[in-house]
Amino acid sequence: MSDARLWLAGLVLLPVLVIGASYLRVDVERLRRLAVASAVAMVLAALTIALSPPLRDFSIRASVLTWIPGGEDLIRIDTLSSVLLPFAAGLWLLTVAVTPRAALDRRGLRRTALATLLTLTSFLTESAVVLLLLSAASVWTFLSALDDPAHRYQRQVVAVYLGASTLLFASGVVLLVSPGVQNTIVETVAMWLIVVAALVRKGIVPFHAWVPEVFDHGRLGPAILFNAPQVGAYITIVLIVPRASPEMLRTIALLALGTAVYGAALALVQRSARRACGYLFMSQSALVMAGLDCTSVTALAGGLLVWLSAGLAFAGLARCVLVLEARRGRLDLTSYHGGYDRMPVLAISFLAMGLACTGFPGTLGFIGQELLVDGAVDVFPVMGFAVVIASALTGLAVLRMYFSLFCGRSDVLAHPSLRLGLRPREAWTFMTLVIVLIGLGLAPRPLVDSRFNASQEILQLRQQRMLRSSALQSIY
Amino acid sequence: MILDMPSIPLTVLVLVGVGSPALLLALLGVASLLGHPLPERWTGRLAGSSMIIASAALVMAFVVYGMTATGTQLLSYGTWSTSHEGGIAIEFLVDRLSLAFAALTAAISGVVSAFSNRYLHLEAGYNRYFVLFAMFITGMLLVALAGNVAVLFVGWELVGLSSALLVAFFQDRPAAVSNAFRVVSVYRISDAAMLSAAVLLRHVAGTDSLSLLFGGAAATAGLTATNATIIAILLIVAVAGKSALLPFSSWLPRAMEGPTPSSAVYYGSLSIHAGCFLLLRAGPLLEQAPAARLLAGGLGAATALFAGITTRVQSDVKSSLAYASLTQVGIIVTEIAVGWYTLAFVHLAGHACFRLLQFLSAPNVLHDLHGLEHAIGDHDSPGRGHFRILRSDRSRRQLFLIALERGFLDTILDRIVIEPFTRMAALMTRLDQWLCDAVLPAPLPSAVDEDDEDE
Repeated sequence: MSDARLWLAGLVLLPVLVIGASYLRVDVERLRRLAVASAVAMVLAALTIALSPPLRDFSIRASVLTWIPGGEDLIRIDTLSSVLLPFAAGLWLLTVAVTPRAALDRRGLRRTALATLLTLTSFLTESAVVLLLLSAASVWTFLSALDDPAHRYQRQVVAVYLGASTLLFASGVVLLVSPGVQNTIVETVAMWLIVVAALVRKGIVPFHAWVPEVFDHGRLGPAILFNAPQVGAYITIVLIVPRASPEMLRTIALLALGTAVYGAALALVQRSARRACGYLFMSQSALVMAGLDCTSVTALAGGLLVWLSAGLAFAGLARCVLVLEARRGRLDLTSYHGGYDRMPVLAISFLAMGLACTGFPGTLGFIGQELLVDGAVDVFPVMGFAVVIASALTGLAVLRMYFSLFCGRSDVLAHPSLRLGLRPREAWTFMTLVIVLIGLGLAPRPLVDSRFNASQEILQLRQQRMLRSSALQSIY
Repeated sequence: MILDMPSIPLTVLVLVGVGSPALLLALLGVASLLGHPLPERWTGRLAGSSMIIASAALVMAFVVYGMTATGTQLLSYGTWSTSHEGGIAIEFLVDRLSLAFAALTAAISGVVSAFSNRYLHLEAGYNRYFVLFAMFITGMLLVALAGNVAVLFVGWELVGLSSALLVAFFQDRPAAVSNAFRVVSVYRISDAAMLSAAVLLRHVAGTDSLSLLFGGAAATAGLTATNATIIAILLIVAVAGKSALLPFSSWLPRAMEGPTPSSAVYYGSLSIHAGCFLLLRAGPLLEQAPAARLLAGGLGAATALFAGITTRVQSDVKSSLAYASLTQVGIIVTEIAVGWYTLAFVHLAGHACFRLLQFLSAPNVLHDLHGLEHAIGDHDSPGRGHFRILRSDRSRRQLFLIALERGFLDTILDRIVIEPFTRMAALMTRLDQWLCDAVLPAPLPSAVDEDDEDE
């Protein structure tokens, strides 16, 4: 069982199994249980890979359609991706365990499994062409979730913005893999096309308008599953960071820092809980982007940590909003809804996950934010403090949501016989997520060390490629 | 058997002292998270035991230190976050000041814990109260004993969050929740200033050790005057937010929404003095930054004057006590700015104990008044009016109005900060919607009820 290929095959086959079963005449409830079991198995398998050094060093190289001399890894597990695998699996488990039954039918279960498969395989490759194809497929999957008449406008918005992102990405990749473009203006143009594609996908200002619209009026569940893994961050770190010029990275980082403050500030004043979630996601996503583009080991490690903590915490937070909406309908943050007494576990989970988003001490987000702030200030002595402002505003936004959603008088119209409390699977899932976020926050060392190692590898790779590129330029 | 106290290591005593409330927080927190909070009796006993252990350990630490140590000691418990550069170390800085404040904190907490056990008997949020109380005590002890800025920041955040959530303790009341949000808004400014000071210190000095900030003129010699001034000003902003100095005083009366024991321990005795304690510790840094020192002194004096006037016109006992506390806090800050550190600490300790007693007695003030009047057989002598020191009626009325409106600080804050921010954010939100509509025209409102949508 030490062969990494076997484990990878198992990881990939689990969502395929659910996709296949969805086409058979399997009862929806059984299909759901199969999905939960598969997600649990996927988490365990992914954790095994992440914790096992022999399994963490595996790659299959390819030299066709590549922009890297000597070929690139078609499939690889390394220090960076090994931790992302259980992350993707955990998001799938969160989705299938918590989403209300009425909202996750056969098609929904198929779609979530497919989305997870695409995310997982994205995290396993560094091939630009494969990433392009997977990215396009994930956008198509997201669009398919919005194909009902009620979401026609949001589907069009997503189609325009993410369609443009995919086209830009495709153009950039086509240029990059063309022969003879190394160290030419064509390569620079290609890089910029990919950068803009990643900025659109990540919702970075000024390409962000689709995010709040989709969260507010689209389908929140698919929006969470599409955005929480932050594949755009992965594209950035694999394709952009190793090769981009310092000016390019600086531009991205500054835009990201501005977006972090912008998103947090707007999340604070929203009326709709969904729209507030959208802006919160924008802010957190931008912090990750800022860390990835700061070219210091500390900032990069911080960005990689915030990626995990914000991804999990935000997904959990948004799922709490979904669970509440299933019981109360749309949530208006300008009034108090009460309900702490009915759902204390949900309230505590919401608060804990929200605080993890803000980098509260004792949560996984704290270490990431500390490293990110330190690294960002080292690179941008003034703008780096934007992380501090974004964190403060995010904390306020989260607490405002908590006070609105769980404080105030309980709904006096609800008959006492109505069961509005959490179902056991919902309660256990949220509790587990909170325990993971706090547990990793209190004992962060192995994970933090692994992110430091990953960031050192990435920056070493960048240095090597920069040196190679300078050597080639001097020859010519 | 006589306990040979000097042989017990300080590291153990301090660890037990800080770890005891932290363990209480973990136990009560996990039980609440799992949906099975401990019964009231167990919670009360655990809380009481934890406070006794913490108090005993820290008092013993103070005695041991006094008998054995000759200077400041840095107790290190290893690196917490990473083995790479930039990791957060768990360090406590022990000297007479930190151990005295920590012992005072633990002792006061023990008294309040015992009071709360009875005061909140059968209260719906009993367990929640003690979770937050444990969080607060852990945070205060970390602030008192922090050896580096990261540990200080952790304690600072714990104190702030627990304070805000306790203001919203009676969460069925919209006023309490709304006030809690106003309190936390100011706290976030304070936290941002604290974090900025920490980051700047690491950036310019290459270390976040508090022995650098608090270690005396020689230790802070590595900082330039400009850096020292900026860091000191950021610390003063953090202190001003936490201790309700001007212009951040408006949150203090709002915080009286919480239960009386929490008002006593937060705004009478400990939390409101946390800022003063931090400023006291940063005395050597202030000596290097005359501008910051002047700022601290000015804020302290202005706050004392403002609070001294405002307390006289409050109509409820807790608000009156809150502003009375603030008067003393302002004076303490001024004493620190002038350089009277010993006086400032003695003032702080004495005031904390005295005000705690007043707050805990506050619910009985009417009962006590009636008892007094019954004993003397007459009504207590009426007040002679406010601000008789001013000759002009018009001046007295104006001053009365300013005091009654608490300096119009809320109005000023709303006009200068909140309303422009809200307008700007609303404009940005409309701009975002326009960016979507510019790409595609928005449809007319449909007949589909959004509540019927799944997900």
